Amino acid sequence: MNKLTNATLRYLLIVLAVLVAFGLRSHAANSLSIDFDEDDYLRAGQEFAHLIRTSNWRGFLETNYRPEHPQLAKIMFGLSILKLPEEPLIADVAITDPPARLLPPKLLNAARSMSVLWGTLTTFLLALMNPLGGLLLALHSFTIKYTSQVMLDGFASLMSTATALTYYFSKRNSGRTGSVLLIASAVFLGMSASSKYLHSAVGFAILIDWFLTAKENNEVKKFLRNAFAWGLLAILVFFLCNPFYWSSPGESIRVTLEAVTATTTNPNVESANFPAWQQLKWLSTSVPLNWSRDAFPIRLDGLIFAFAIFGITGTWRKNRFIAIWLLVDVFLLFIWRTKWPQYILVATAPLSFVAAEGIRTTAANIAEWWRSRQKRREEAVKPSGKETARALPWLIPGSIFFIALTLLPIVFQFAMSMTTLSGSSLRDGLQGGIAREVIGGITGQIALPERNTPLDQFKVHYVGLLSYFDTLGYLSESGLTFFSYFWTITSVALQALLGVGAGLLLWRSRDRVRKFWQTIFILPWAIPEAVGALLWLNIFAPFNGWLALAIKQYGGEIPVLASLAGWERNPNLIFIVMLVSALWYGFPFIMLATSAGLKMLPKDVYDAAAIDGADGWQTFRYVTWPLLQPLVLPALLVRAIFAFNQFYLFQMFIPYYFQTADNMITLSSISYYVLYQGSEFAFSATINIIAMILLSVFVILMNRWGKASEGVTYA
Amino acid sequence: MPKNRTSQILTHAGLILIGMYVMFPIWGILRLAFDGSLRGAPTEFRFLPKQFSLEPLLQVLDKPYQSVDFLTLFRNSLFVSTMATVAAVVLGTSMAYAFARFRFPGRQTGLFVLLLTAILPPIAFATPLYILLTLLKIRTTHLGLIIVYAAFAMPFCIWNMRAAFQSIPKELEEAAYLDGASQFRTFLQVSLPLALPSIAVAGIIAFLTAYSEFTIGWLFLDQSNRITLAMAIYSIVQTGSAQPYSQLGSLALIVSIPAIAIFVLFQNTLLERMLFGSIND
Repeated sequence: MNKLTNATLRYLLIVLAVLVAFGLRSHAANSLSIDFDEDDYLRAGQEFAHLIRTSNWRGFLETNYRPEHPQLAKIMFGLSILKLPEEPLIADVAITDPPARLLPPKLLNAARSMSVLWGTLTTFLLALMNPLGGLLLALHSFTIKYTSQVMLDGFASLMSTATALTYYFSKRNSGRTGSVLLIASAVFLGMSASSKYLHSAVGFAILIDWFLTAKENNEVKKFLRNAFAWGLLAILVFFLCNPFYWSSPGESIRVTLEAVTATTTNPNVESANFPAWQQLKWLSTSVPLNWSRDAFPIRLDGLIFAFAIFGITGTWRKNRFIAIWLLVDVFLLFIWRTKWPQYILVATAPLSFVAAEGIRTTAANIAEWWRSRQKRREEAVKPSGKETARALPWLIPGSIFFIALTLLPIVFQFAMSMTTLSGSSLRDGLQGGIAREVIGGITGQIALPERNTPLDQFKVHYVGLLSYFDTLGYLSESGLTFFSYFWTITSVALQALLGVGAGLLLWRSRDRVRKFWQTIFILPWAIPEAVGALLWLNIFAPFNGWLALAIKQYGGEIPVLASLAGWERNPNLIFIVMLVSALWYGFPFIMLATSAGLKMLPKDVYDAAAIDGADGWQTFRYVTWPLLQPLVLPALLVRAIFAFNQFYLFQMFIPYYFQTADNMITLSSISYYVLYQGSEFAFSATINIIAMILLSVFVILMNRWGKASEGVTYA
Repeated sequence: MPKNRTSQILTHAGLILIGMYVMFPIWGILRLAFDGSLRGAPTEFRFLPKQFSLEPLLQVLDKPYQSVDFLTLFRNSLFVSTMATVAAVVLGTSMAYAFARFRFPGRQTGLFVLLLTAILPPIAFATPLYILLTLLKIRTTHLGLIIVYAAFAMPFCIWNMRAAFQSIPKELEEAAYLDGASQFRTFLQVSLPLALPSIAVAGIIAFLTAYSEFTIGWLFLDQSNRITLAMAIYSIVQTGSAQPYSQLGSLALIVSIPAIAIFVLFQNTLLERMLFGSIND
């Protein structure tokens, strides 16, 4: 491709992103019902519009309805309704009340239209940096939702994206343009913070990236001076945009903090009982269908999230600042107490950028795989007919049993997944209903049922692949898929830390000591998983577990452990309890792999490292770890598969915490659960097939990592 | 390695900490298993058994579940697990050999399918088998359970036996072949004996899986005199505090001991087997 086509393509993509953004946001603005908080910000807008109309500029000093948020975005809503005839102030109700039933339609329309404009502009700015990223942001359903309602996040994310954009281009332009852009980024940062406090996150990202760059160029002193001035300017702009702080800053800060405390601890927050990682869950899925049936025709948030995970390392290499921006945002979302979904708008712009990088990496990988596949095909020795003939007598008898015991059930399971087989239609299913419907459906003799038409529940019905859309939607919206991956990654990461750590400790100790401890340490691995789950249940079971009894007897005097009381009612503690148990079961395997690897390490490498003056960490990072990798990575993968499939642990614990968090369970457990408790045979089958498809990713990784380890020879 | 005093002390402190973490839940169940005073679930915190006694253990060795005696359950366990293992190993051997020794069209795809099925969770087989075995009217029989456990184990066994056959030098087989032995005889007298230790390890893993499995089994069996020893554990958990928890502890102990013994003895081989090796060759 030459430069011209590239540029044209780029512009076309930008235009497309803007058009899509505008179209989808307008559509949503027209079809969404009134949500929480819209009445608040519209009322705030009304107040500001009134002040402007009556030229009461002094009023800006004390007007700030909902003082937990700064003024600027609310003033913007005031501007949007300035030209409209004044209406009575919207009622001031408690923040915990349900959404308003009715708001003045003209005002609502005008304010929402302005949101749409901001959302579209944000997309445009992101597209300037990364056209594909802009398109993804245009499609992101949660971003669409909160940039088409009367929410502060729209303007705030426009400002923070502008901050990022100016900094991003200031890095690419030296001299005067660069400086002007840098100053502009400070101004925009001030405006981000004065729209919604959390959106000042981009400022921290800039400082981190700036510092890292300065450190590489040995300009830390210069950085300190410039960054100080830059930060001061941002604070000044913030102050200017918030007249509320002018008259008595101390008092205003007190009011703000009080309001923030009130909103972060209100009963709605308590009853939502969200876990720390809730915002990641919001990021991992589209706006749930039952929030709005038709406002979001395109629902790809889950894919965008997945691609972002693939893209993060590539982005770090090419555009470190964007990666830092995303990571800082996610970190803040993690520690921020309230977990309402609109907060994720802090992160969706960098997320889309990183996801675009992920798409590029994935596409490049697939292209590479395709090329190498063709090459391999040409090079591969074609199996001779003679050899095939010799293989057949061996292959056929074994295959018959393998097919009968393993493949047939899976194929049958796939057939089941395309029906509605459940407890009530089981009789029909067993009398040939499954075969009748599936064969009829595949050959086209049985038509797919219309949506929303009642089906005879005592008969099996063919629903084809529709069941997959429903099930995928359910798994994604309920957070089950997210949990599966989140669980896999966190539990294996912990197992890796403790496993490698224990392996290294053993290696440092004397022979006899080592034998003793190694035998102790492998016990959890040797105990059947189901029994292991039972052991931990015996500790953690509410009422009669060891822990509960100890707390009952000794009250809250036991330091750390007392805080685990009532863990079954708090999602974060549930997660910790499950992790403690899974870590126990999983680390010995990695420890064994580490020990096996350490035994093969050449000693002279260490002497060389010691002579070169490497410290403990450097020796580990650059000498030990690369040599351990070929054994430990496959072990991690095996553990990851175990964690993804983890069944007995959840099977034992879920009855205790089901009430609190029914979505903290792996796919294989939920599949068992709907089968055993609900007799939902088809549903269970569909989940199994989906899990199987997800697991094939692990097989591909095994294949790759297996190959990677081939080149390494042990000394 | 650097062996000064402080680092040795730190190393030991670390080892002791991890050791306590490992032993903590094990001690918790041992305490239960040997406490003769329990009538149901424990009601007070104790570090040692209130009344040390072997009674619960003996009780379990007599009648662990309802009125079924231990020997029946143990026999069920042995029968089901052995048959499932034999089925998975014997029926899969020829296929493993074919994948290890010959090249034929579709081999790579076959390997992919084999590995994928080897890492599927048991429930992925249990759901369809539940319907299939009901259709065949053998769902609640031992034969049904054997089929279920064999299906769990077979892909893993085949994958491992393939590795075992592959590690035998091809030259040995060729020598036998040139001496005039038939293909089948070569396999029987050269390859199989050499691969036998590895095959045994695969079989042991399959056996232990079936022997210690106790929830999926309850999807299939419903009569108390047909269940396995491990399944009795789950029934005690399910019934709550109806039975003394000391029996639960003892039962868990009895079920785990064979597995622990085998894992401790064969740790290195088992580690290697469970790492699957790479798909390519």
